[in-house]
Amino acid sequence: MSNHQILNTADHAELRVHTGAGAEFGDAAMAALVVPEEFRQAQAHYPIVFRRDAESGAFTGLALFGFENGENLFLDGDTWDARYRPLSIAIQPFLVGQAPDGEGEGQVHVDMAHPRIARNGEGTRVFDEHGKPTPMLETISEQLGQLHGGYQASGSFYDALARYQLLEPFSFEVPLSNGSKHSLVGFHMIDEEKLRALDGDALGSLHAEGHLLPIFMAVASLSNLSELVVRKDAKENRG
Amino acid sequence: MARGHMASDFNRLVIVGGGTAGWLSACVMAARLPQLEVTLVEAPDIPTIGVGEGSWPTLRDTLATIGIDESEFLRKCDASFKQGSRFDGWVDGSEGDNYHHPYTPPAPGHVAQLLAAWQAVSDPAPFAEALCAQASICDRDLAPRQRTMPPYAGALNYGYHLDAGKLVALLADHAVSNLRVRHIQARVTQLETDADGLLERVVLQDGGHVDGDFFIDCTGMAARLIGEQMGSRWIDRSDVSFNDRALAVQVPVEPGSPVASQTIGTAHEAGWLWDIGLPTRRGIGCVYSSRFMTDDAAARVLTEYVEASVPGADTAGLEPRKLQFATGHREEFWKKNVLAIGLSAGFIEPLEASAIVLIELSLKALAEGYPHSPAALQPLADRFNTLFLYRWARVVDFLKLHYVLSTRDEPYWRAQRDPATIPASLAAQLQLWRDHAPSPADFPQVDEIFSAASHQYILYGMGFPIPAEANRAPEQPAMHRLAEVAERGRALAAALPSNRTYLDALTASAPGRAAQGETA
Repeated sequence: MSNHQILNTADHAELRVHTGAGAEFGDAAMAALVVPEEFRQAQAHYPIVFRRDAESGAFTGLALFGFENGENLFLDGDTWDARYRPLSIAIQPFLVGQAPDGEGEGQVHVDMAHPRIARNGEGTRVFDEHGKPTPMLETISEQLGQLHGGYQASGSFYDALARYQLLEPFSFEVPLSNGSKHSLVGFHMIDEEKLRALDGDALGSLHAEGHLLPIFMAVASLSNLSELVVRKDAKENRG
Repeated sequence: MARGHMASDFNRLVIVGGGTAGWLSACVMAARLPQLEVTLVEAPDIPTIGVGEGSWPTLRDTLATIGIDESEFLRKCDASFKQGSRFDGWVDGSEGDNYHHPYTPPAPGHVAQLLAAWQAVSDPAPFAEALCAQASICDRDLAPRQRTMPPYAGALNYGYHLDAGKLVALLADHAVSNLRVRHIQARVTQLETDADGLLERVVLQDGGHVDGDFFIDCTGMAARLIGEQMGSRWIDRSDVSFNDRALAVQVPVEPGSPVASQTIGTAHEAGWLWDIGLPTRRGIGCVYSSRFMTDDAAARVLTEYVEASVPGADTAGLEPRKLQFATGHREEFWKKNVLAIGLSAGFIEPLEASAIVLIELSLKALAEGYPHSPAALQPLADRFNTLFLYRWARVVDFLKLHYVLSTRDEPYWRAQRDPATIPASLAAQLQLWRDHAPSPADFPQVDEIFSAASHQYILYGMGFPIPAEANRAPEQPAMHRLAEVAERGRALAAALPSNRTYLDALTASAPGRAAQGETA
């Protein structure tokens, strides 16, 4: 259950949130949404794959942390072992909400049922004693803006991928040194053959719209799959 | 190998006296030099003094070295975090007269440039607030660390406030249980020396005796080994440091009340008051000079302070403990095979919590220069004595600095500023500091007790003139440093829990507690 509220100094003057990493804060997740604007940062650490929503047919980019539900191979106790965390994780427990009339800029909302809400006086304050945003909230607001903008802009990115049929389903066998096998199914990736076959006009138009860079970042990110297998292998061998 | 540990290995270390100095000595020496056979002899019926309830950040290193867990220490010693000192009423005694001496050094960079940048700001914040994020954290009663940080690490530099009696109990248990220290409870009736004048044996009241190769005197002000037996002279420093008495009380505090982040030292007409906040009580004391104040007057000063600053305190029931002390130190701390550590070595008022850090520095020097044969004794003693005469001189000068910069007008304070009572070394440095800000070049020893940074906090906290070298236009890098301090202060103020929150959560998470809760 979530409990979304509009963030405000009256109700949330004393609010503190946990900013560290940990399964208890909801970080034990197999994947998280990434927007094309952050593919460049995300590809330094994570494989980026795509999932199609069964109902709407719309695609979403995901940074992959593990091979099964609840498995985050970057999470080790209270450490997240990567220098970049996707925006959709970094902004928790905050989110962008729409004003009740549905007009204007997004507002900062907070999910008061999120495990990152601190209830014991520890954690980081959201507002200082004068009701001014703390540096943490300033950072979060910036990240929420990036995430929101990136999400709004992602429609045209996925339209372009569809236009050139650049996404293909894939399955991935996870070979582990102890002989056991996992497989990853249900995701899409960039179809490199189709990408290679694009003519200059198509490439020029993708480039002009700013889509070429995230496409190649997504391609490059798949080299992280073998890194993820190494992490999985190490975890299995630790028992 | 057939070679056993013979007496000639000089491994038998005997510590006489079991207060903070004795048990810290036992733990540190046993942990750092495991080949030693450490014995601690203490009389069962001698009370410890236990006034030194504030520590320097060095105690973190010491506790980690001897293998005590930080959470266990905090819980068992009723301890809290000490991030420095605040001095109230020392400049002129007016309303709002106070300044911080935080443990975290000022912003990095050339101090003259920082001073110039600080002065260039219109309506500048006080020196400590402008140059160090810790001052604003102290003002908010916040802890220097989060509970998820590794033990003994902090976002800001810190030591502790603690219950000295409980620290002694923790150290004694740890020494005996984990560090193979032999503990003998008996009165020492006699000391025996050999033909060369080396101490070789302490004779006990029950007829037994303990033989040793090296002895540490932790018998407190009695100084039975270094003074009575070895005849090391006492050098009196009351000509510089006037205070010779204290009245001490402990006042319980309400559950949930704020715990201060620093020791508060409040000046009064003939001395000052200490105020040390622990989770369950505040230790408050009135330090004064019997030449300038009667005991009754000091008791009134103490009572008035408690009434004004501890909400709901029952001042009628206060029964202050009276302490008398002489300020000074040994001429030789180390003589033959005897080393004085703690009050047997010297005493000065606890204005900057120098007691425990002097014990720690003595043990560091001993561990790094421990004799393995009688031939090494004299050169090691010479080296130690030179170093610690220097250190005592620095401590005496640094504490005097707090008084000479005051403009208070009472007879006691005027007498403190009488040039005849100011050591020549301090007078010379005060001259120098009109030209240059205190810098590491002024404090050339390794492990200086009071760094250039500490001197800067006192000087510029008390309004000492900006030195000639800082009369220059402010430069951009220094302005950036000051902006970073402010920004870091904001971030830390948001991220750090209050001392009370931290310490209560720590108590609630105690292993013993959780187990009880489960079975209840």
